[in-house]
Amino acid sequence: MIANAEALLKPLTIKGMTIRNRVMSTSHAPSFGKDGKPQERYQLYHEEKAKGGIGLSMFGGSSSVSLDSPATPWNQISVADDSVVPFFQSFSERMHKHGAKLMIQLTHMGRRTKWDTENWLPVKSASVTREPASRSVSKALEQEEIDRIVRDFASAARRCKEGGLDGCEISAAHGHLVDQFWSPNSNHRTDKYGGSLENRMRFGIEVLSAMREAVGDDYVIGMRMSGDELLKGGLTAEDLITIATEYANRGLVDFLNVMGGQARDHLAHAVSLPNMSFPVAPYLPIASAVKREVDIPIFHAQRVTDLATGARAVAEGHVDMIAMTRAHIADPHLIKKLSEGRADDIRQCIGYGYCIDRIYVGKDALCIQNAATGREATMPHVIQKAEVKKRAVVVGGGVGGLEAARVLAERGHEVTLFEKSDRLGGQVLTAAKATWREALTGIPRWLVAQVQKLGVDIRLNTAADDAAIAALSPDIVIMATGGLPHLGEVPGAEHAVSTWDVLEGRVEPAGTVLVFDDIGEHNAVSTAEHLAKKGCLVELATHDRMVGEEIGGTNQPVHLRELYKLGVVMTPNMELIEIYPEGNRKIAALRNVMTLEEEERVVDHIVVDYGTHPVDELHFKLKDRSKNNGFVDQDAVVAGRPQPFEVNGSAEKDGFTLYRVGDVLAGRNIHAAIYDSLRLCKDL
Amino acid sequence: MTAASLLPLLVLAMIVVAGVQIGRRALLWRSGSFADVDWVAGVKALPKRYLVDVHHVVDRDKSASRMHVPVAAGLVGSAGLLVLGLVPGIAGSRIYWAVVALAFAVMAAGVVLVARRRYPRAMPRLSLGRYQRTPVYLGLFAGGGLLCALLASFGDPLPFFSFLGLILAAAGGLALAAQAATGPMRHALAGAAHLALHPRPERFDERLPKGRATGLKPIDLDAAKLGREEPADFAWNRLLSFDACIQCGRCEAACPAFAAGQPLSPKHLIADLAAASGGGHASAYAGNPYPNERSVAREGGLHHAVIGTGGMVHPDTIWSCTTCRACVEECPMMIEHVDSIVDLRRYQTLEHGAVPGKGADILDNSRLTDEPNGHDVATRTDFAAGLDLKRLDDGARTDVLLWMGQAAFDMRGQRTLRALIKLLKEAKVDFAVLGEERDCGDLARRLGDEATFQRLARANIGALSKVGFQRILTADPHALHTLRNEYPAFGGDYEVVHHTAFLNDLVASGRLSPARLTGAAITYHDPCYLGRYNGEFDAPRALLDALGLERREMARSKRKSMCCGGGGGAPIADIPGDNRIPDLRMEQVRQTGAATVAVACPQCTAMLEGVTGDRAEVRDVAELLLDAVEAGRGEKAKTEARAREVETA
Repeated sequence: MIANAEALLKPLTIKGMTIRNRVMSTSHAPSFGKDGKPQERYQLYHEEKAKGGIGLSMFGGSSSVSLDSPATPWNQISVADDSVVPFFQSFSERMHKHGAKLMIQLTHMGRRTKWDTENWLPVKSASVTREPASRSVSKALEQEEIDRIVRDFASAARRCKEGGLDGCEISAAHGHLVDQFWSPNSNHRTDKYGGSLENRMRFGIEVLSAMREAVGDDYVIGMRMSGDELLKGGLTAEDLITIATEYANRGLVDFLNVMGGQARDHLAHAVSLPNMSFPVAPYLPIASAVKREVDIPIFHAQRVTDLATGARAVAEGHVDMIAMTRAHIADPHLIKKLSEGRADDIRQCIGYGYCIDRIYVGKDALCIQNAATGREATMPHVIQKAEVKKRAVVVGGGVGGLEAARVLAERGHEVTLFEKSDRLGGQVLTAAKATWREALTGIPRWLVAQVQKLGVDIRLNTAADDAAIAALSPDIVIMATGGLPHLGEVPGAEHAVSTWDVLEGRVEPAGTVLVFDDIGEHNAVSTAEHLAKKGCLVELATHDRMVGEEIGGTNQPVHLRELYKLGVVMTPNMELIEIYPEGNRKIAALRNVMTLEEEERVVDHIVVDYGTHPVDELHFKLKDRSKNNGFVDQDAVVAGRPQPFEVNGSAEKDGFTLYRVGDVLAGRNIHAAIYDSLRLCKDL
Repeated sequence: MTAASLLPLLVLAMIVVAGVQIGRRALLWRSGSFADVDWVAGVKALPKRYLVDVHHVVDRDKSASRMHVPVAAGLVGSAGLLVLGLVPGIAGSRIYWAVVALAFAVMAAGVVLVARRRYPRAMPRLSLGRYQRTPVYLGLFAGGGLLCALLASFGDPLPFFSFLGLILAAAGGLALAAQAATGPMRHALAGAAHLALHPRPERFDERLPKGRATGLKPIDLDAAKLGREEPADFAWNRLLSFDACIQCGRCEAACPAFAAGQPLSPKHLIADLAAASGGGHASAYAGNPYPNERSVAREGGLHHAVIGTGGMVHPDTIWSCTTCRACVEECPMMIEHVDSIVDLRRYQTLEHGAVPGKGADILDNSRLTDEPNGHDVATRTDFAAGLDLKRLDDGARTDVLLWMGQAAFDMRGQRTLRALIKLLKEAKVDFAVLGEERDCGDLARRLGDEATFQRLARANIGALSKVGFQRILTADPHALHTLRNEYPAFGGDYEVVHHTAFLNDLVASGRLSPARLTGAAITYHDPCYLGRYNGEFDAPRALLDALGLERREMARSKRKSMCCGGGGGAPIADIPGDNRIPDLRMEQVRQTGAATVAVACPQCTAMLEGVTGDRAEVRDVAELLLDAVEAGRGEKAKTEARAREVETA
């Protein structure tokens, strides 16, 4: 039971529209839009939260109102013409059926977008400026264009109302057009829209006034805004509170959705979408400060990962609605579980940032730990019981094995889980030893609690072998034996150690260390940071164009910030070609991948990350005796269909089916291992 | 003069002695306060009440009925026959003596059965002391009388043995008679009078719904003294009722507080109340002590406060009671323990504000906010936001008025209510809730605050009078009981139905179609206020059986069900014992091997869910039904999908 839970379960009424509780999800861009519309995948994703008891789900982060703010980046929603209205209608009906409210965010991105997408129109802003994050140079808006955009906002609001949405907000945060006008950083105008704060506020007032006129006084319109840009030369808390009170007092907005910071460059972006290195709810005081000054409800998001924090924020009166957006991506059934007294079953967001990092590289938003999110059409959030109870053996207690054990146990099967070591969680626990990556432990922690609760027979310190598995006469064997780090193939590779060796404390380097990264993920950079914090003089080399190249936008800047602060030398475009010892020290030969020039480093230790190679001896011992030769039917699993080995009479044959999940196939990531297990086991 | 011819005189002597003795008690009863009693109807009803109602209770313990029927019949029969023997001429008949001997023989046989309950070792619930000697006296009277009468039927061939029989019978009979004021035989005389002059004659009327005889009676709030402080404050027939106790201990064996080691034994309490009116320092009580007995002076007197360390009974005793009525249900003497406990509490609360534990907060909240936990009653429907719950404005009408109760403020209770609301919607029931539902007042009343209860009752009746409805539906047996059985005294007469009965009707009439659930066995825990208080045992069971799960009964179920510990404000008073009542109840659940315990009361849910460790899952009947109805919907969808596939093929 969570303290103050009752504060979260109170309804909130805004202009006669009652939200059933105080927990919401803010508008965001999961990249699920199709042709600029919220179609089935998008709707199912939000419907799951509605089923899970959420009060208000806001969708369509940065939904565009105008053609010169294209919806194409992140596959977003275009509200720039009436064709979206029927989609809104089916969407809102879908949500209302479960008692949840649905709103959208409308915006014109101004300069914060790309010109080289569908419409090939120049980006617009208050003045001619360039935003580091979007890298676009804007055209200054002329009065006619301003008037047109104001009309576009009004038409978009009308479409929201016609579509049955319960309300909408405009975005005046993260450097969109409205706050581009507000900020002296981006507004150098000398007309009635520039200069004084009063003038800089004008555009937003015109937008909201036109929207009001289009939808009437009883329709809920809010605004997302920063409460403090935390930026020298940017909008201060004082500026933003002045804006908030002015807009609220004019009756232009019915709620304010207040965040902290801004997103003009890489670090600001990462800081405004706090990852696991931040404490929970770091910007709550900023929202609370606005709440003190205005009489309309305040919403707030930003790393509120647990209900207890959310409940405190509401109970203490800092905010009226607490937004747990990423928390719902990890577990869309938060409120249901809370109100059913199953708060312990909540899969808590760990702040990995996998969901958001993917969309900035053109992929869809997925959860590092919940493979069903965003795949509601094919993947269940609640596992159905199987009709026939089977006996299953899972070999390996990493996250892939744990997820397999969880899903199989939820199916009602009798599950035995073998784990060679004395702990469950596998290599995720190793990764979690690196400085601020500690929150990774949350992934196995939830899985372990679930499998324990489901009565899985967990055998720690037990390496599964042929005999032990045969003794259980299983119907299903899941190989989740994972992988082990590979030291690479360069001459002298045996003189290197792996990032695992360092993080597990098997070696304790001192002095100078060369970390060579062949993967570009968190592993090497976090190990470099770990070593530097222990006092080593670290050089991090990679053949990529920069270090941590595979790491997404909310995490990589944090890594870089830490590495710079610690004086780690970052050497991109360099490959390791040979290692040899010299006395007590080691020589690493590096070659610049652009110039092909070679250099040498004399160091005390060489740490490499070449990813993992599978641990699959046991699999190949069992393979020939399995009914399916150890293969997953790829077509079936991709289509979300049950495995044919399970349904084509194989159950009548003696023996077992054998499947591999996770890194035992090939070294990938946490999500891959968990998805392997979920999509396979949900039908077994 | 034969020995046998003296037997009738012995009976007369016994009657005189007993009459004098019981007369002393009757004088004490007269000191009680006024009670409106229909003497004629009561005396007329006595044979039926004794032979049917009392026998039904006694007969639940076969060892008791097997001993009581011959002893009582033998004693009354032989004494009656002997008095008849005073009619000249009859005593000379050998046949007459044979019949008398037969009566004594029947009694003697019964005495053997009585003795078996006590020797070599008495059943734990029985009192010892004088009670342990009673079979001896009974045996002397029966054996002596048998010997004497038997010899007389043979023409008195052995006069010495006849006289020996007479002496034994006289010793036993006079000893019994001499104890008629304070000993075990008091129960016969006071018990008969109590049956005739019972404070709740309605409980013997089978035509009335059970709840009519279990509701608490209002008190006059303008009276000089509120509640009962001293024996003289009790109605005279209540004082009489205390004397009817035979200390059989069935109440004690059934009492959940006693089982949990809290300082309450209903038997001990009634004995104390009987002793209190006698005055002076009470003599030793020969039953089990109150568990974890708190020390008191044990000073009594008609005008001496009963409750308190200077009186007969420690306050913790009356505050340990859950008002579950298990004692009342078990009592063969038809004593109404709960009425007296509430009367004593009323004085403590209304005159002294001496409510233990969190009681003061609860009553303050009830007074100031109309809700025991201080919630704003306007927020009672908060939990249902998103469920589109209809609220009745003044003048509006609905078929079913849903009374939400305190569960609406509790996250666990809300789950049950949400399940119920979903089911009502599924069955397309026309229902709504009051715009402002105040607390029904059950808790305030059981904590002795009659004033707050009456105020809440009148306010609710006022609100209910402004809207139209056919009946009231509630998932809370406490609200059900209060509204159905205690509001009529204030002019609120409603048809109130419990959700288990209502849902059972919906299923039976096909308006809800539950699938048959699969899974482990369940057991059903009877809420006291639904079962014992209102006689509803069947509907919840019928509903559960419709879900297709194997249902197992706990050893204590239905009328004998054990309380969860949550009633009567007991969790508020929170009197410490050795165990918690819900832990004991959950252990009884465990013994059935059921994986789920179905409940039908928010209080039971809260108490049983508070049990820590590995235990059965606690689900309200409505939640289980919703599972089944939703499963039914899924099956229907599957069947339809299959049908479509076939069509396409």
